[in-house]
Amino acid sequence: MPEHKNVISVRSLKKAFDSNKVLNGIDFDLFEGEKVVVLGPSGSGKSTFLRCINRLEEPTSGEISFEDTVISDKNIQEMRAKIGMVFQHFNLINNLTVMENLTLAPVKLHRMSADEAEKKARELLRHIGLISKAGAYPASLSGGQKQRVAIVRALMMEPKVLLFDEPTSALDPESIGDVLELIHEVVDDGMTIMIVTHEMDFAKEIASRVVFIDGGKIIEEGTPAAFFSHPKTERVREFLKKVL
Amino acid sequence: MENFFDKIVELFTTPEYIDSLLHGFLLTIEIAFFAVLIGFLLGLIIALVETGKSKWFAPLRFICRVYVTIIRGTPMALQLFIMFFVIFAIRDFPQIVTAILAFAFNSAAYCSEIIRGGILSVDAGQTEAGLALGLSPLTVFHKIVFPQAIKNIIPSLGNEVITVIKETAIVSMVGMYDLNMAAKDIGSGQNMASYVVPMFVAALFYLAVVYLITFVIKRVEKHMRRSDARA
Ligand SMILES: Nc1ncnc2c1ncn2[C@@H]1O[C@H](COP(=O)(O)OP(=O)(O)OP(=O)(O)O)[C@@H](O)[C@H]1O
Ligand SMILES: [Mg+2]
Repeated sequence: MPEHKNVISVRSLKKAFDSNKVLNGIDFDLFEGEKVVVLGPSGSGKSTFLRCINRLEEPTSGEISFEDTVISDKNIQEMRAKIGMVFQHFNLINNLTVMENLTLAPVKLHRMSADEAEKKARELLRHIGLISKAGAYPASLSGGQKQRVAIVRALMMEPKVLLFDEPTSALDPESIGDVLELIHEVVDDGMTIMIVTHEMDFAKEIASRVVFIDGGKIIEEGTPAAFFSHPKTERVREFLKKVL
Repeated sequence: MENFFDKIVELFTTPEYIDSLLHGFLLTIEIAFFAVLIGFLLGLIIALVETGKSKWFAPLRFICRVYVTIIRGTPMALQLFIMFFVIFAIRDFPQIVTAILAFAFNSAAYCSEIIRGGILSVDAGQTEAGLALGLSPLTVFHKIVFPQAIKNIIPSLGNEVITVIKETAIVSMVGMYDLNMAAKDIGSGQNMASYVVPMFVAALFYLAVVYLITFVIKRVEKHMRRSDARA
């Protein structure tokens, strides 16, 4: 890939919870425009990997950089504003309306004025068909609606990269399609993303690269064509047999 | 019975008695109000230290634990005596300040436990969502965690306010003229010569305040629950 800027680079990342060594040395680079799908068995450390990138988990050792700046406790807030995250359980702020969920961070962090934020939020809500819910509280939304709001909330900050951790795993089958469609649009707009998902068809469709984690290490990576049709390791073959 | 009503009429029509009762009542309310206010703020600080993640808080956390344990493990009346006869045994130091601080320090321990529980009851995902957007921990607390915690603990805080109001009655033990003391004083007077009536009336005063607070708390709770509504 020529001339593509490095967005995130991870060096020798290790993370242990007490004696439980979850990540055992991850080296990884994410380039601008890439759509990386992270796969791996349950408990292999996929979420922990994503959460170390924006420091929701403090790495035990190793280094993570965002656009050539090493992420530290000092600059983490600034970095997080550029690294969006979408959670499995949506995590909309319960005490704020949909509109407030969208505008809180961009206004608080002086990305835009309250008016600009509201205008932009309205556009995005209209786009996902939820403008009528602008004044509603999250409790009155369905799972699929919550997740779509969560995605546009992340977009409000105009992040350089979006991290998705199983964005459809907590949804009923009907709303999964809506959410995947929205993610697809975001991807088509050129957003750089990393996504953990069990939706294999979707993964094949959008991935520019697949990364397979097991035992806290990346044990195989490649283009979706190569990864799904010609897996190199026995471990991935086993995994694919189960999920495909 | 007739006598009882006569006495009640006498109590409410004798300016001297009414004055005493209102004076006592005012003192009770003053002590309780400021004690709860200071107690809540101190309790909030203790709760923040106890739930804070920072390593630097470790020694502070220990101090807070010890403090809460001592306060909760000893009688309020003893704490009041210690404040009056040991810590603030200073001539001409205003009694009301000592009393307010005694109840505030006591209430802080209970408030901190209530607030801590409230903070811990807020789903970690709420904090993570705020942090992931780039908000500062302070903003996350102020805009997200605290409002949700408060909503969960309004009933318990209301109970604490009511407890403090009633507990202030022990200031009569150090000679302060609160509502409780006023009732006793009136009752022991030569004209009234009966404890039943003034104490009955004092009870009504306490009940009225407690009822009013219960009512207000209910309203506040309802107002705060509006974000739970499934429209
Ligand atoms: N906050 C935590 N405290 C202690 N252990 C944790 C914590 N978070 C994760 N772990 C442990 O780390 C390991 C990896 O968890 P992680 O959630 O990263 O896996 P995952 O690959 O995302 O799994 P899944 O597919 O089930 O979501 C597990 O053993 C888990 O118990
Ligand atoms: Mg996970």
